[in-house]
Formats: sequence, structure tokens, C-alpha cells
Amino acid sequence: MTVAPDVRLEGELVRLRSRREEDLALFVSWYNDPDVRHWLHMSEAGEQTVETERQRWELTRQDPARVTFVIETKDGVTIGNVGLIAIDEVHRRAELGVSIGDKAYWSQGYGADAIRTLLRFAFETLDLRRIELITDADNARGIRCYEKCGFVREGVLRAHRLRYGNPLDMLIMAVLSEESGLK
Amino acid sequence: MDGNIALTVISESILTGGSVRLRPVQESDLPHFQRWLADEELRRWMGSVEDQPTMEEESDWYLGRREDPDSVLWTIETSDGVLLGTTELRLSPANRRAEVGISILDGAHWGLGYGTEAMRLVLEYAFDELELNRVELTTDAANDRAIRSYEKCGFTREGMMRRHRIFNGIVGDTLIMSILREEWASK
Repeated sequence: MTVAPDVRLEGELVRLRSRREEDLALFVSWYNDPDVRHWLHMSEAGEQTVETERQRWELTRQDPARVTFVIETKDGVTIGNVGLIAIDEVHRRAELGVSIGDKAYWSQGYGADAIRTLLRFAFETLDLRRIELITDADNARGIRCYEKCGFVREGVLRAHRLRYGNPLDMLIMAVLSEESGLK
Repeated sequence: MDGNIALTVISESILTGGSVRLRPVQESDLPHFQRWLADEELRRWMGSVEDQPTMEEESDWYLGRREDPDSVLWTIETSDGVLLGTTELRLSPANRRAEVGISILDGAHWGLGYGTEAMRLVLEYAFDELELNRVELTTDAANDRAIRSYEKCGFTREGMMRRHRIFNGIVGDTLIMSILREEWASK
């Protein structure tokens, strides 16, 4: 799925913009923060570098089933990433991924605003009908945020991933276009 | 666990049960698979195949799987060598988990227990050889026959993905099921 590099999505607190080369060093600093990594799949990966981040960026750019945005505040401070992966145009669904990498912006509604802004784009512009996500079952802050955005719990996936080598349950949640209030 | 090492081992693996055998897919199997996929009921339950593939698409599917280090694909056949279908493990080595897919493609062999036996062979391999923690699958929530077979193998229902699939314009739910290592061990 191609989104023009100059596409910007405006929310109430945040703006979503496309990635730039100069973002990479900032992303690396976030992903090397143990508090940020804890909730991400990369909790099991080694130390990140600008080079590993650049490789990931190149791979994701080539993936037609993915759209990725950088989250910045209305003042232009870059605070996180949000995107859709596994966009399936036949079944009109996709998975959502989001992280606020700058901890100073946690728990103030920036993530929820970014998610709502992306959901509006997913349902109205991409004409998708179902957006799903999986998250660590003990990620209470994340789950509260997803519920605020309309996501509904659909099941617990037992021992779905490893965190620091230990099996961890994950929650699957989804929001449908007709229940989102956005369309 | 290293996915590439696992693949080298598994791609050579032949798993033998009482009435079925799992062996690596051969190119000569593909025309049979492609022909069976003309069956709309079969495609409906598979969920991922909207139209019957052309031979070229079938061949691309096979080559893609062969190059994917996290995919382990077998042909299911009877002990006498009659082709029945395919089964696949898609590995997530970093999480010691895999997703399993299974299709008895030849409708004439549905309901005879071949799928259940093939699934047990795959699970034995996944837990005893690959030492995975979890094997999961998704299935059309209306596919009672498949769900019964999965429950017989020890799978538990974990969640219902609402309006997850569309086939011929009809929207349906998808059930997600799994079996954990300790559940397999206690069977």
C-alpha cells in the first residue's frame, strides 16, 4: 500500500507524518531504553544501532502491506511511531502497532490521539473494516488506552511470546469500523 | 533456537503414523493441489484462497514457502502413497511458537480421521523435536468438523476474531485455538 511521503494526518494533540532518515538515531535511543523495550517484541533482541534500525526501515519500506507514521506533537516534538501491518485488502483488515518512545509523553493521551487518527485513516481512506492488535496481557496502561479507542478484548493467547526468556500471555483486541464511531 | 538450523533438519523429515505419512512437498504434487482447489467448499474453509489458483500461482506459493526459513511444509499422503493434502508449520523461533495449517485437499478423504492423525504427527514434531512452547491455529468459526478434529488433538479455544474473514462477499468470524507444551506432554 503506497502512502505518499507528504501525507500528514492531523489529530487533536498530535500529527502523523512519514519517516525521515534523521529520525533513526532518535528511534534507536528509544528502543535501547529498557522501560520502552519491555513492552515491545524487541525485548528479546540485542542492543539496537542506527544500522540495525536502518535495515529495519528499509525492509518495512518495501513491504506493500504496511503503512508507518511518526507521531509528533503539534509543537513538532517527535514522540513515537504508529502504523498498520499485514494490511489485507481482500478481508479488509490490518494489525495496528504503536509505541510512544519518549517516556515524558506517556499517559497524557498522545498515544490514544495517534491511534484514533490512524483508525480514521484506516476506516475512511483505506476502507478497512477491522483493525486488530495483540499486546502483553499485563500491559494495563496500553490496554486501557486501546479500550478508550474502541478496541474490544477477543481472547487471551497463552504463552504467545517470550519476555526475558519467560513465556508470556498476550491479549488480542480488535475494533470494527461500524463500532468505532469514526465511520 | 535458530530457525535456519531447524529447517535443515525438518525439510528432510518424514513423519510416519499408522495410516498417514508426512513427507516434503515435491513439484509433481502441485498439479494435484491446484486441481483440488477448484472445489469452492474447500477454498471457503481454507479462508486464504479466494479463487482457484493458476498453476503459476501454485508454483509461486511453493517456491515462496521453500525459500522461507520459518516455513516447514509437508505433503500428507496415506501409507500407500495416495495424496491427501498439505500441512505447514510457520515458526516464530524467537518466541518458541508456531502456527499450524492443515488441509485435506481431496474432499473424498474428509471425515476419515486422516487430518487428525496428521495433526498429531505435526504436534509431536513441534513439541518433541523442535521443543516449542505453543502451537496455534486459526479456523473459520463455522467449520465444526475441523474444530472437532483440533479439539481431539488437544487444542483449546482462546478467542473469537469478529468479522475477520470474507468469502464470496460473506463476512465470518475466525476462531483462534492453541495447545501448549505441557498440555501435549500430559496427553
